[in-house]
Amino acid sequence: MSDDSPVLEILTNTPTSETTSPAGTSKPTLDIASPSGSLSKTQSAIRSLSSILPTTTPPDLCTALSLLHDHEVASNISFLLRQPNSGAGDDNLCRWLYDTFQSGEPDLQLVVLRFLPIIAGLYLSRVSLSKPLAGFEAVLLALYAHETTSRAGQPITVNVPDLSHPSVYHESVSPTKNNSTAFNLAVLSPSLEPLGTVRSTKRARIVGVALELYYSKIFQMPIGSKIDFCDFCVVWAGHEADVGKDSDYGASELLGANESRERMGKEGRIPLPWELLQPVLRILGHCLLGTRENKELFDAAWAACRSLSARSIHDIDPRAILATGSLLRLGKMAMEPKDDYDPTEVQTSGVITI
Amino acid sequence: MESGELGGGREVREVFANGVSMKTAEVEAKLDEGNIQEAESSLREGLSLNFEEARALLGKLEYQRGNVEGALRVFEGIDLQAAIQRLQPSIAEKVPSRKGRSRTESMHAVSQHAASLVLEAIYLKAKSLQKLGRLSEAAHECKSVLDAVERIFYQGIPDAQVESKLQETVSQAVELLPELWKQAGCYHEAISAYRRALLSQWNVDNDCCTRIQKGFALFLLYGGVEAGPPSLAVQIDSSYVPKNNLEEAILLLMILMRKFILGKTQWDPSVMEHLTFALSLCCQTPVLAKQLEEIMPGVYPRVDRWNSLALCYSGAGQDKVALNLLRKSLHKHERPDDLTALLLAAKICSEDSNLAAEGVEYARRTINNAQGIDEHIKGVGLRMLGLCLGKQAKVSSSDFERSRLESEALKSLDEAIALDHNNTDLIFELGIQRAEHRNLDAALQYAKKFLDETGGSILKGWRLLALVFSAQQRLTDAEVVTDAALDETTKWEQGPLLRVKAKLKVSQSLLTDAIETYRYLLALVQAQRKSYGPLRKFTQVEDDKVNEFEVWHGLANLYSSISHWKDVEICLGKAKELKQYSVEALHTEGIMWEGCGQIEEASAAYINGLLLEPCYVPCKVLIGALMSKMGPMALPVGRSLLSDALRIDPTNHMAWYYLGMVYRDDGRIADAADCFQAASMLEESNPIESFGSIL
Repeated sequence: MSDDSPVLEILTNTPTSETTSPAGTSKPTLDIASPSGSLSKTQSAIRSLSSILPTTTPPDLCTALSLLHDHEVASNISFLLRQPNSGAGDDNLCRWLYDTFQSGEPDLQLVVLRFLPIIAGLYLSRVSLSKPLAGFEAVLLALYAHETTSRAGQPITVNVPDLSHPSVYHESVSPTKNNSTAFNLAVLSPSLEPLGTVRSTKRARIVGVALELYYSKIFQMPIGSKIDFCDFCVVWAGHEADVGKDSDYGASELLGANESRERMGKEGRIPLPWELLQPVLRILGHCLLGTRENKELFDAAWAACRSLSARSIHDIDPRAILATGSLLRLGKMAMEPKDDYDPTEVQTSGVITI
Repeated sequence: MESGELGGGREVREVFANGVSMKTAEVEAKLDEGNIQEAESSLREGLSLNFEEARALLGKLEYQRGNVEGALRVFEGIDLQAAIQRLQPSIAEKVPSRKGRSRTESMHAVSQHAASLVLEAIYLKAKSLQKLGRLSEAAHECKSVLDAVERIFYQGIPDAQVESKLQETVSQAVELLPELWKQAGCYHEAISAYRRALLSQWNVDNDCCTRIQKGFALFLLYGGVEAGPPSLAVQIDSSYVPKNNLEEAILLLMILMRKFILGKTQWDPSVMEHLTFALSLCCQTPVLAKQLEEIMPGVYPRVDRWNSLALCYSGAGQDKVALNLLRKSLHKHERPDDLTALLLAAKICSEDSNLAAEGVEYARRTINNAQGIDEHIKGVGLRMLGLCLGKQAKVSSSDFERSRLESEALKSLDEAIALDHNNTDLIFELGIQRAEHRNLDAALQYAKKFLDETGGSILKGWRLLALVFSAQQRLTDAEVVTDAALDETTKWEQGPLLRVKAKLKVSQSLLTDAIETYRYLLALVQAQRKSYGPLRKFTQVEDDKVNEFEVWHGLANLYSSISHWKDVEICLGKAKELKQYSVEALHTEGIMWEGCGQIEEASAAYINGLLLEPCYVPCKVLIGALMSKMGPMALPVGRSLLSDALRIDPTNHMAWYYLGMVYRDDGRIADAADCFQAASMLEESNPIESFGSIL
C-alpha cells in the first residue's frame, strides 16, 4: 500500500538509453524553440522507442504527429503497458514515456498523453495489489507537475451566471443588483501544490489532474485513446455495463455478465472520489456527445456511462447520479433516429424564382 | 408520361422571373448534355435575364436537381466577388441604375434584390461544396456571404424593409458557418463563427437563434476545445462576460431555459439535461434546483421533478429538504418503488438516529423491489438497512430492543458484504460497527482490508486502524500507523492525524512529545487559516479539518491529566475565545473545578454542559458521580443519571465504574463486582477517540 518510492530519483539518476539518444535529450531545459532542436528530439525519441518495442518502428515515422496516430506503435505500446508486471521503477517504456514528456516538445507530449488512459487505468486498478508501480507514478507525477506549473498552482473556478444580471448574450430587464450576490462561485479544480512523490491520499488528485490535462488536449487525441479511457471507466466502476434499468438482455446473458462482474470487480473497482470522478465525467461527456462520427467510440462511452451510473447509485452520490443520469438520457436521445430536417438547406419548390 | 414515370416522381419544375415563367425541361436537357452555355442563353432569352442572373438561376436549378457538382461548375463560372464589389455602397451611390432598369424601385430595393441574388448564389456554392465534402472551401464561401452582408449593408437595413429572401439566406449562412468549420475540424474558427452569429445583429428569428445557441453551448461543453473569453470588443460595461467554456455553456443553456419558460421557443428536454450535466460537474446543484423549480408544471412528471430536486438539495448538503421531497415522491399514490429515491431517502435517514426508523422502511422497500435487472441494488439496500438499524439501536429505549436491533444490523451488513464483497464503503462501515461493539479483532481485519482495497488513499481508513490499535492498547502500533499515515498525506490534511498522535502521546505519558505535537498542530492550523481564502473546497478532508479550538481543548485535557490546573484554565480560556458555548470545554472545566476541590463550580459546569447537550454522556457520568457522593438524598439521582448515561452509551467504562461505586456503597457487592468487571473490560478496549468521530 505504501508504494510511494522516490520514483523521480530512480528515473532521473539512472542513465536512460544513453546509447541511442544524444546527450541532454531528457533535459527539459533544452532550447525547444528551434525547429531543428525539436526535430532531433523527435528523432531521438523515435529511435529510443524502437529499441524498446518488440517490433521495429516503421521507417516512415518521422514526426511526432505521425507517431501519435500510428496504429501499430499504439498497439505495441499498449501491449507492453498491459503486461502484468509493467509499470515498475525499472520499466523501460515508462522511462521512455517520462523522458519523452519531459522533453518539453508539445507534440511529443501529446504522444505520452495518448497513453494516459491505459497508464491511469492500470495504475489505479493495481494499487490494491501492492505491486511496484513507480514507473507509472513517475509518468503521472510528470503530468501533474506540468499542469501545476502551467496553472501556477491556481485553482480553476467557474462563476455560475445569474440571468438577472445582463451578459454579452442577453439583456436583463431588472436593474443590476450588487455584484456579490449575483454569482455563485464554484471551484472546478482546487489549487495545486507541488508533489515530489505519490502520497496515497493524493493519488486520486494526481490522476485527476493528469486527466484534466488530457481533457484540455482531447480534441487532438486519437479515437483509440478515448476508447481505452472508456473501457477503463467500466473497470473502475466495478459494474458491468449491462446493469441498468433499460437493459433488455435475457437471463442467460445477464448470468454471463454477472460472472464478468465477479472477475472484473476483484481487480478493477476503485474508490471514485469526486476529485477523480469529475474529470472522468468531463472526458466521458466529450466521448459520448462531442464527436458524432465514430460509432465505436460512442458505444464504448455509452457502456462507460451505464457502468458509472450504476456505480453512482451504489455509492448513493447525488452529484454523480445527476451527472451520469443526464449523460445516459442524452446518450439515448443521440441514439434515437433524428429527423432529417436541416434548417440550413434551401427549400425546394417546383417554381424557382430569382 | 413515360419520362415522368422513369424519373421516379421527378417534379416538373418551372422558372419564374420578370413576370415570365418557363418550363425547365428543355434547359435541364441541355444541362444534362453538359452544355451550360446553351442552357444559360435559353434562360436569358426566355426570361430576359442578364448573364449573372441566368447563371444564378441555373446553379439553383442544378442544386435543386441534386446535381451539386453541376451546380458548383455553374457557380464557378460567375465572378461572385466582383459582383459583391459592385454592390458595395460607394459604387451603388454613383451608379444608381446599374442594370439600366427603368423600374421605379427605390435604390435600396434594387441593391437588396441584387444582393440577394449574389448572396444566394454564394450560399448555394457553399452548400454544394459541403455536400461534396470540401468543407473548408465551403466554410470560406459561407463566410464570404456574411462578410459581404456586412460590407454591403454596413449601416444595416431597417427591419420592415428587409426582403425576406435576403433575410433567409443571411440566416441560413449564419447558422451554417459554424457547422462547416466544425465539420472541417477548424474548431477555433467554429468558435468565432458562433460568437459572430450570436454577438452581431443578423436579425435571425427566434428558432434559428435558439438552434445556434444550443449548438454553441454543446460545442463548448463537449467539444473539448477551450474557447477563451470573447474579445474585448463585445464586452459591455457591467455585463457578465463568461471566461471559460463551462461558464459560457451554462450561460447559453440558462438563456435557452429562460426562453422556454417565457414560451418563446419550443420545449427541448435535452437542454435541461445538458444543464444538469454542466451544473452538477461544478457542484452547483442549488442553481440547478432553482432552474428545475422555474419550469412550468406539466413539463415534467411531478415525481421526476421531486426526485431530481431531492438529488440537487442532497448534493448541496440540504438533506432535510431533500427528504421532504422524497417523502412526497415515495408516497403510495405516487411512485413508492423508485429505487434511486428509496436509496437516497434511506441514506439521509441513516445519518440521523431520529430518522433511522423511517430509513429502515425505505431500505426494506428497496430490498423487496431490487429484482430482475435491478438485483444488483439489493446489496446497497441491505447496507442501508444495516446502517439505519444500527443508528436506530442508538436511541432505543430498552436493552432488549437495542440488542435486537444491533444484531439485525450486523446481519444485514453481513448479507450485504456477501453480495458486494468489494464495496469499500461497506467494508469501512463493518469495521466501525465491529469496533463500536468492541469486537476489536474483527474490526482490525476490516480496517486492514479497507486500507488494502483503497490503497491507503482514504484518510479515514488510516484513522480507523490507528484507533482500533489504540483500543487494543497497542499504542506503539497505533503510533506507527499514524506516522505512516502522516507520510501519505500532505500537511494541510494532517490535522486529524496529529490530533490522534498527540492523544497517543498523552496515553503513553510522553507529555513533552504531546505538547510538541500540539504546538506543531497549532502552527499548522494558524497557517492554514491564513493561506486559504474562500476558495478552499472540495478536498476529501473538508469536513474533518482540525480547528484551533480543538487544539486548545486537547491541551487543556493534557494538563488536566497531570493536574496542572492553572495551565488548564489558560488553555480553556483560549478555547472559549474561539467557541463560547461548548459542551466539551465545560466538561473539562468541571474536571478542573473538581480537581481544585470546588464542587459547586464543578457541578455548575457539568449542568451547563447538559443544558447545552442533554445527551452528552461524559458530563452526565461526572454529575452522576458527584451526586452519588453527596449523601443518601442525592444517591438515587446520581444512580439514575449513571443508568441513563449507560442507556445512551453502554460502552462508557467511567459510567460502569461509578455505578459500581454506588452499588458498593449500597452494599450490593455482587452488582458492584459486575459493574467493576464491565468497567475494567471496557477500559481495556477503549479507543483514544471515539470511533464515531471518524465518520
